[in-house]
Amino acid sequence: MNTMSRKRVASILVVAAVALATGFLVAGQVKAQLLTPSNQVARYQALVRSVQELETGNAASRQRIATLRAQIDALEAAAARQSAATQALQNQVADLRAHAGLTPLHGPGVEVDLADGVPGGDSSSVPGYLVNYKDVQDLVNLLFARGAEGIAVNGRRITPLSAFSGSEGQVIIDQGPQVAAPIKLLAVGDRNRMETALADPSVLPDIRAREVQFQLQITFSGGPNLSLPAYDSSLDTRHVGTL
Amino acid sequence: MSARSRRPASSRAVSVWLLALVVALVATVQIRSQAEVERSFAGADTASLAFLIDNLHRANDSLQAETADLTLRQATLQSGAGNAADQVLADEAARLRAAEGLVPVHGPGVVMVVDAVGLQALDLQDALNNLAVGGAEAIAVNDRRVVIGVPIEQTPGGVTIGGAPVPAPWTISVIGDANRLAQAADAMTQQMRADRRVRQATYRVEADVVIRAVVTERPFVYGVG
Repeated sequence: MNTMSRKRVASILVVAAVALATGFLVAGQVKAQLLTPSNQVARYQALVRSVQELETGNAASRQRIATLRAQIDALEAAAARQSAATQALQNQVADLRAHAGLTPLHGPGVEVDLADGVPGGDSSSVPGYLVNYKDVQDLVNLLFARGAEGIAVNGRRITPLSAFSGSEGQVIIDQGPQVAAPIKLLAVGDRNRMETALADPSVLPDIRAREVQFQLQITFSGGPNLSLPAYDSSLDTRHVGTL
Repeated sequence: MSARSRRPASSRAVSVWLLALVVALVATVQIRSQAEVERSFAGADTASLAFLIDNLHRANDSLQAETADLTLRQATLQSGAGNAADQVLADEAARLRAAEGLVPVHGPGVVMVVDAVGLQALDLQDALNNLAVGGAEAIAVNDRRVVIGVPIEQTPGGVTIGGAPVPAPWTISVIGDANRLAQAADAMTQQMRADRRVRQATYRVEADVVIRAVVTERPFVYGVG
């Protein structure tokens, strides 16, 4: 009786081991089949890891720049307290920095929100339902032409040398990380002129067309006191000399 | 007899169920982890990621150069030597005036000539943005200085910059890293030549591009620092 029971346990264990091995084999095979096409996933993982590491470094550098600028401001202010000439120079620089977007700005303005639409029968290489960098560029140009004195896009301040790039639904502004919809654009300046421009159906023709075709969303509202952050990246003028 | 034979049968059934459970679990974990990996990359193809990496590398280099410059400025100010603060402030003022287009400037760069019929303000804005992405530090079109904030608009009479008409051909003078600008200009002119509206699109690299045009300073009316 005891021998029989032991045999039964042993046979069950054998069956279990065989089934377990089969399970691993099946799972391994499924995994191998998923991975085989050109090691795509491993390559993606490596690329994404690179992006994440670079973005971490990017954020740290921008933080460091903001801290250094604040410390330099304090040192300049201390020097300015000791000399009228230095004070005059510091006032000039403060004004130039404000116009370059290197210091925070607040005042009346508009908030514009852009959001992706719905994929449709779009055969173009650039998906029309996604907000892209040209949309942001067009909005920034429009608002500066219609009374904006300062603009920030998803917390990134626009400067006189700002550049917009990106692929598909990604927007890259200057040396910042990519951002994607929803995009929030804050503009401080002549609120009435900006609101009138945004309500004009004849401006932003590409966005208006995609509003209809892909339900791309653009909304705006005015505000009495919007706050823009300071620019936290490099204003590169290494190759420019004054005449 | 029936009770005795039912017990081993039920324990076998339990074993089989346990085995099936283990197999299902292993397979599920494998497939789910695979699906999870794939989901995290949804929407980003290899080309987009490569573009992003290239851009971030360049951006981080630029940020590090700025950090080094600021660190030097900070050290100069901390030294308190002579008129260190005045010198730092004067240098900063000159740099910002150049960036804001308030003073004439010169430096290496490219000069593009685009002759076309029917190009719009949006086309010019796109071209200037491409050059900005390519590292432009100062730009003028037909001797009109352009920085972000200077309106480029479409009027019935054609394209205007800051309210002044800029009829074709457009001569676009750009200062910056000449190598990067040449790459950008090359790609742009090739693309433009494929446009039926464009009669001519050329560029040349110059060691010293001079831009004398300046932007008029606009004081803030609404914004407060």
